[in-house]
Amino acid sequence: MSDPIGRRAFLGLAAGAGALGALGAVFGPHAWDALFGGAGPAAGAMGADDGARLVLVTLYGGNDGLNTVIPYEDPAYAAARGSLALDPSSVLPLADGFGLHPGMPGFQRLWEAKELAVVHGVGFADPNYSHFESMDIWQSGVPGTPVATGWLGRWLDGTRSSPLRAIALGPTVPTLLSGARVQGAAIPVGPLVLPGDGTEQALFGALARGEGTDPVWVARSASADRVLLELHERLGPVLERTGASDPLHLAGLGTAARQGASTSLAIANGGGGQAGADVLAVQLSVVANLILAGSGADVYSIELGGFDTHADQERVQSALLSQLDTAVTAFVDALSGTRRGSRTVVVVYTEFGRRLGANASGGTDHGWANVAFVAGPSVRGGFYGEPPSLTNLSEGNTVYTTDFRSLYASVLSQVLGTDPKPVLEGSFPQLTLV
Amino acid sequence: MTIPSHSPHRPVSGPAHAGRVMTTAEILGHLSRRAGFGARTEQLTAMAAAGYDTAVRDLVAGIGAPDPGADPVPVPELSAPPSAGGRLAMSVAARRSLDAQLREEFTALTAWWLGRMVATTNPLKEKLTLLLHGHFPTAVSKVRFPVYMYGQNQLFRTQGGGDFAVLTELVAQDPAMLIWLDANSNRASDPNENFARELMERFTMGIGTYTQADVRAASYCFTGWRVDPRTGGFDVDARLHSTAPQTFLGVSGVSSGQQVIDLVTQSQASSRYVPSRLWSFLAYPVGPDDPVVADLAPGYAADHNVANLLAAIFGHPQFTAPQSLQGLVKQPVEYVVGALRALGMTPADVSRTPAALLRVLAGLGQVPFDPPSVGGWPQNEYWLSASAALTRWQFAHALARRADISMVADASPNDRVDAAGALLGVFGWSAATAAALQRASADPPTLVTLALVSPEYVSN
Repeated sequence: MSDPIGRRAFLGLAAGAGALGALGAVFGPHAWDALFGGAGPAAGAMGADDGARLVLVTLYGGNDGLNTVIPYEDPAYAAARGSLALDPSSVLPLADGFGLHPGMPGFQRLWEAKELAVVHGVGFADPNYSHFESMDIWQSGVPGTPVATGWLGRWLDGTRSSPLRAIALGPTVPTLLSGARVQGAAIPVGPLVLPGDGTEQALFGALARGEGTDPVWVARSASADRVLLELHERLGPVLERTGASDPLHLAGLGTAARQGASTSLAIANGGGGQAGADVLAVQLSVVANLILAGSGADVYSIELGGFDTHADQERVQSALLSQLDTAVTAFVDALSGTRRGSRTVVVVYTEFGRRLGANASGGTDHGWANVAFVAGPSVRGGFYGEPPSLTNLSEGNTVYTTDFRSLYASVLSQVLGTDPKPVLEGSFPQLTLV
Repeated sequence: MTIPSHSPHRPVSGPAHAGRVMTTAEILGHLSRRAGFGARTEQLTAMAAAGYDTAVRDLVAGIGAPDPGADPVPVPELSAPPSAGGRLAMSVAARRSLDAQLREEFTALTAWWLGRMVATTNPLKEKLTLLLHGHFPTAVSKVRFPVYMYGQNQLFRTQGGGDFAVLTELVAQDPAMLIWLDANSNRASDPNENFARELMERFTMGIGTYTQADVRAASYCFTGWRVDPRTGGFDVDARLHSTAPQTFLGVSGVSSGQQVIDLVTQSQASSRYVPSRLWSFLAYPVGPDDPVVADLAPGYAADHNVANLLAAIFGHPQFTAPQSLQGLVKQPVEYVVGALRALGMTPADVSRTPAALLRVLAGLGQVPFDPPSVGGWPQNEYWLSASAALTRWQFAHALARRADISMVADASPNDRVDAAGALLGVFGWSAATAAALQRASADPPTLVTLALVSPEYVSN
């Protein structure tokens, strides 16, 4: 629903293009490895030091995949999209008649380096166009009857370990990290400094212990407090060391811009619909810090909103895709060749694709199948899955060819090294992504 | 009414879930948190003399009455949007300066609303406004002009207690919603489904009660609905409106948006969906098929009156049952406003710049006028993250050191834990909480900080 440009201009929370430049400088090849490579893992490192990590990027609102990975040689595309169809000469070619949105040169470079996988036609049966139901299905990993747990929450349950193995950035934990027993941890973006003196902190810890007889929300509240203390103990030093003076690595920007970026991120992470300026780059810089400092979790969840482009799509989507491109590319570059980061895999998905035919508002309405991206130094680049037909439509929508759980099964098995079957309650053919 | 004794030196009588009989004051504490922003124990004790039903009547009557507490809070100056032509003619510098201006207005508007909630003497009126914002969410990030957010907010406040069908139509024709769901660009030549879908899915009927064909049909009926660029008000542009008769929810010959709104708000599905939403906001989350909704639906279907529905909710036996007493975690706005009210502070007492409070709310995950999506804010677990816990603690720590906490500090150290409970309207800390608070009793600001972040206070 939201309009990132409007928000940026409006709330004045923009870090502006300068932030990306500064991040690029910090993200420069191996810069962080040089900074942190010599340091041993922080006390209580959770995953194997050189283990694979999953970074899940949720795009809220339903990104228009047909204008992201564009079937520009298919005459049905230009015919249906009309003035919203991208000019073939502006598209960044990949292969097989597909090309990327012009705002994504970084992804094209990753593609050429064989570090970008594009999964065609991802979706599920009986989609119903609802943001909420569709996102619930994606996050729970269960189509049909709603379940309360997320697919990575169930993975977390299975690891029988700490919430700190799955970290979300921002004020809230998305459903996808909620298990029946364990819920992932949310960390603030910026230094993690506890208020008060030692006495206050110790008594906060005493409060957080709770009682076995507490009602459910009292118990969950105490449990969030305990996770905060554990996060502080384990990650506080890293977050402080890398960020106390410049938590977002935006050195060189004016103070206002720095504050703007941090505030916009806080707001942007208010729950999932929102986009602010460069929020993705800022989130990924924190994730990269944690991974490279050796104190990282196995799973990170970050998000970007504003993709519900019923109107004025060209302007809105260009800005968002450009943000995605810059942030993910800089992230992959930063981790590439590092001991701790080179097995990191980024997965980018959204709740549904959009209608093939454009509407009259310069936008597109809710649709069905979509593309997903998998990127990282260890990824086997290329196309996966069958591209959906642009002529054999259902209710005007492209029909899925790849069950989204195939993507999840591949990630669970190939990145997290776990048996996907119990998590997904079934077997799905894997794509050899890594 | 007697206040249960919970001396820190003995095991406390325990919170309500332990099966203990609650006093009227304690039940009023629950009502005041859900129908408002909480109250101190002394206020609850005073209210208890007149009884629960009187308290409900007073709260509901307050919806339609002037609010001597909140009404004096000054409305900030909000600029009208420039005309389309004027906007095109603007220089880059003028656009930037407009952005900065609107940003300041947004901050001031948020401070105004928070100020109203803190000062209100009609708490249910402000609470209903907050709940309706969550039910009909729109965000300034897309609507852009705070003056529109203000207009919609006033609609919730002045019309929220009346006929829900009328409210739905007013909201649908109000600029904030027209912009938010792209109604403004919905044309007969190719309708945009955004508003039609959310109207049914989120605002009136609930998912699964209509078909994609109904969404399509309704979207035609709303074509041409827009903000008139000359007047800034609602208008149906005849050139863009489809007059083709549609079959909608099984009714043929439907062509106007008003007809669609009538049909959806009078539908059988809506008579369950709307009560289920309000119950979920006030007691605990339920779906339209919940038995408690079946109790409320006939009364609601008879008049579609929101104030009457609220009275029925607060009067339902299940509203004061343990499931309800333990059924909702405070939303961040409720938490922040409740803490300020308990400590006798205004937003201006927290910081000279309203932006500071906005940052707290952002860190807690809920910025008023900026919900994350058309779904509004999720509930309960959503608010209980480690990241939000840190922000809450930082806020409580700062608050306890700025507030007048003499009510706690002047008590003898052995009575301070009780005094902190009375300040926050908490009856009976758990034994573990009472023990931890007692250890802070020598240092009242720390004691109040910890009381404010205690799991009992945060989660209810």
